[in-house]
Amino acid sequence: MSAEDTPRAVHGRAPDVFRRGGWVPMRCFDDEEEVDFAIVGTGAGGGTLAARLAEAGFSVVAFDVGAFYRPLEDFASDEREQSKLYWRDERVSGGEHPISLGSNNSGQSVGGSTVHFQMVTLRFRPEWFKARTKLGYGRDWPVGWREMWGYYAKAEAAMAISGPISYPWGPPRGRYPYRAHEVNAAGQVLVRGARAMGVAWAPTPLATISAPRGLAHPCVYRGFCKSGCSTNAKQSVLVTYIPRALKAGAEVRDLAMVGQIETDDAGRATGVVYYRDGRWRRQRARNVVAAGYSIETPRLLLNSATARFPDGLANSSGTVGTHLMVHSNHAVWGEMDEEIRWYKGPPSMAVCEHWNYEDQKDFHGGYAFMSQGPLPVDYAQSFVSNTGVWGMELRRRMANYNRMAGLKIVGETMPQEKNGVTLAEERDRFGLPVARVTFGYCDNDRRLYEHSLRFMRRMLKAAGAGDLFETESTAHLMGGCPMGFKPDDSVTDADGRTWDIDNLWICDGSLFPTAGGVNPSLTIVAMAERIADRIVALAGRGELERRGRRLGALAG
Amino acid sequence: MPEPSRRSLLSPALWGGAAAAAGLALGALWMARRPPRRAREGMAPAARTAHGAAMERHLARRLDEAGTMLSLSVLADSAMEHYRGRFHDPFMYAAPAAAALSLARGGPGSGRRTAHGAAALTGAVGTGFHVYNVVARRESGLTWNSLFYGAPLGAPAALVLAGMAGLAAAQLRVEAREGEPASIAGAPAAPLVALGTALGLLGTTAEVALLHFRGAFQDPWMYVPVTLPPTAALALALTVLRPTPATIAAARRLLQATTAMGLAGAGFHAYGIHRNMGGWANWSQMLLQGPPLPAPPSFTGVALAGLGALDLMESER
Amino acid sequence: MSRFQPPYPGYDVLAKWDTPSWNDPTRRVVAERLTRVPERRFFDPHEWATLHAVCDRLIPQPDRLEPVPIAPFIDDKLHRHQSDGWREESMPRMEDAWRRFLKGIDEAAQARYGRPFVDLGPEWRDLVLRAVQKREAEGGAWGDMDQKTFFEKSLLREAAGIYYAHPAAWSEIGFGGPASPRGYVRLVADRRDPWEAPLEREDEA
Repeated sequence: MSAEDTPRAVHGRAPDVFRRGGWVPMRCFDDEEEVDFAIVGTGAGGGTLAARLAEAGFSVVAFDVGAFYRPLEDFASDEREQSKLYWRDERVSGGEHPISLGSNNSGQSVGGSTVHFQMVTLRFRPEWFKARTKLGYGRDWPVGWREMWGYYAKAEAAMAISGPISYPWGPPRGRYPYRAHEVNAAGQVLVRGARAMGVAWAPTPLATISAPRGLAHPCVYRGFCKSGCSTNAKQSVLVTYIPRALKAGAEVRDLAMVGQIETDDAGRATGVVYYRDGRWRRQRARNVVAAGYSIETPRLLLNSATARFPDGLANSSGTVGTHLMVHSNHAVWGEMDEEIRWYKGPPSMAVCEHWNYEDQKDFHGGYAFMSQGPLPVDYAQSFVSNTGVWGMELRRRMANYNRMAGLKIVGETMPQEKNGVTLAEERDRFGLPVARVTFGYCDNDRRLYEHSLRFMRRMLKAAGAGDLFETESTAHLMGGCPMGFKPDDSVTDADGRTWDIDNLWICDGSLFPTAGGVNPSLTIVAMAERIADRIVALAGRGELERRGRRLGALAG
Repeated sequence: MPEPSRRSLLSPALWGGAAAAAGLALGALWMARRPPRRAREGMAPAARTAHGAAMERHLARRLDEAGTMLSLSVLADSAMEHYRGRFHDPFMYAAPAAAALSLARGGPGSGRRTAHGAAALTGAVGTGFHVYNVVARRESGLTWNSLFYGAPLGAPAALVLAGMAGLAAAQLRVEAREGEPASIAGAPAAPLVALGTALGLLGTTAEVALLHFRGAFQDPWMYVPVTLPPTAALALALTVLRPTPATIAAARRLLQATTAMGLAGAGFHAYGIHRNMGGWANWSQMLLQGPPLPAPPSFTGVALAGLGALDLMESER
Repeated sequence: MSRFQPPYPGYDVLAKWDTPSWNDPTRRVVAERLTRVPERRFFDPHEWATLHAVCDRLIPQPDRLEPVPIAPFIDDKLHRHQSDGWREESMPRMEDAWRRFLKGIDEAAQARYGRPFVDLGPEWRDLVLRAVQKREAEGGAWGDMDQKTFFEKSLLREAAGIYYAHPAAWSEIGFGGPASPRGYVRLVADRRDPWEAPLEREDEA
């Protein structure tokens, strides 16, 4: 029976991600049993929170619409096959610059997008948490950087990040748990360019281990990271927090689509309605956490509208499904004299954050850029859809595959109210209205990526590349249910607790008030670590059922 | 269905592994051997002289063994590592060749001093090459990553040690005189070998410390080879300053432990390969990428020389 | 146009089938791709023939006795309603878009050359396809569908994705192919593991 067809985590056991055919015991809750937390989504936000809350002694059930894989036996070394890890249920993408969805920004499996992410785990620049006050754009975060610095360290420890001894940008950080990997040839191109341009570079801090860790094998540099790691070297939430959650007594329900969060007459959440194993069910819960990421979380809140909450849950401010951000993913590619063979090793082994920390520029925000190593299908598809090349010329250009090198940005975009998520007319396989995503770049976004293209062109040339060409795409999702300081312009407070419903929480990337110029996963995990600590602290003060003094919460 | 293909199982990596295994077996045999009876008070003067000469020969043998062990370790390790580097520079053949030559000429016979001298020289030149590789040739310049993944700075030094041990053994035999204390190049042999061993242990420890740091000391056992050998080195140095029965006994125990650790280390590294993806079934990758199988026994080699020095020291008291 | 010379003529990624570079899940997936080419289930025979003719121009394979099949996998995807997880709002639904395209190029071929697309020679086929790419193809089938968007973001993307997922294409470009449990050791430029394609320079030597 395949993991995609029949739920695996049932009857008191769940797949053991470290052993072929293995199982670990799992505590199971009855639908009628009112659990402390029902968490919708098991990715960087939900999976992390499930582990932390279960370890704190709460009863937890975590739902994921995706399958529960054992990477060692379920993941093939094949790009097409492994697209099973991407969100492939229908969505509609519109706006001035419709973004592509799925492979580059949303996953569908237990562990969420971290199962196919490229493992780049960078911290935010401290000033970004006060983007409005310190840098003059976007919004401030209701969380300070010093506090986040501690949670970053926690997240890095939990995911055993392999990173450099000293990182050239930002305030000091502790030693990474594991040493940085050898930088592959593709990364050395960035290194050469950075030295020629006089900017700093670093081996990318990566969530893939450079030495054994328990039953997880160290990275073998097979390069299929984006297609799921069959080595178990990748420290995804699937192989880090999920086993912890199970061990601590959480239940994980795979192939379980939550369609609605139920609320009672008093306007409090009472549980979730979910579809699993052929029928709709209802799980009662004292608290509900939406952790489905920037599209599914707003979609769920909107799909849960009632007479009392006609615009969707937690939406009195009208900000649910607004301020969605992406990272511009513009890239420059060129042909080298040497054979680079970028398919070896994780795709982005060297990073330059120069323009995240340099403020003399004609745009707000920043970008990091990294060396690249797309596998053939990924590269071919990006190449043809950007250049329009076909015919014999396509085969000729693709034959340069082993000589190619590239630099690609993770470019910050501005939070704009018009970019976001609404419900479309169409319905998905569960009969639920699908998400309609709207996105358009603003002038600042354009200035940013144009700057990056100019810079990377010069740098790639300096590194010895010829026949340059550019591609554009987007990656990652941030925002959609921004957290903030006031109930009238945000969905949640600093703890991810919705302003409108005391026992409804959000714990994922949709909370981001601004995007930052780095990959979001580490920040999502760090936020989840923080939210877990806050929930434990609130419970200790007896403020879990009812919010404490509103002013107190505001001051916090 | 595509036609299955079978790659030849014979590759340098396999030979490297075989050499390492052979080294292990030989080392275990040596360990089983006993040193000559210790000198006792009240022995007749003539007997004492005869015993002294026996101790000289014993130290020479120990040094030969040390040299052999080190050469074996270097042969296997450099063959594997330079194969990993695909012998892109013809000089990369020099290290395994010199180690092999030193091995072949390890016993008594003509030309052995030339062979050992060549080994030591190759090691010294190799160190220069490795420094050049790490500092100058890497795209990134001198960084932690070039130290971790560039040519290992300390590795060729093991070849220097191997050659020096062989040379010392040869010299010891040449300078042996009835009734006179053992000497090497005119210097008293026991303290000289003891200090050389201490330095060798410290240098080897530095190399291991770097590589185990690279491995994030993920297994607590990885701390042993960075703590035990330097302790043994200090104890050995102390015996030179104060050769009392107590200091000698302490140094002996620590050196014996280091000898055993070197052999056990190969076992740990074999287990480390098993813990890597695919384990031993994936040997064609993991012998190169996993922990280096033939490296730890170099500790055994160095420690053996120190044990010989202690034996001599004890008999000369 | 000069003839295409694949850079690694002696390299076959399938030669690694029984080595540690391939594991069972991968062998299962690739064996299925090689041996069970989907049959026509979505398109009608004329659409099927037209799509084959299109793919033959997008990725010509005159050098292969057995060309890598592309059209059957497109048919299969549409038959199984296998979405990529999104569609552009301005575009029709996937199934509809493909049918409009195939009808559209027939109309354009009729308008230009008085015969259906499949009956055109290679040069004329290319001219029709280039017209689509430039949003200049005639015909009412297109409706409000943007020709260029469909051509580059759906058609070309899909065809390239299928071709470069085939072991023959991996060998052609010197890609290492499947790599589990065995990955790679040598990550430096111009350096290779014995289980990779020989360097181009080695081949010349």
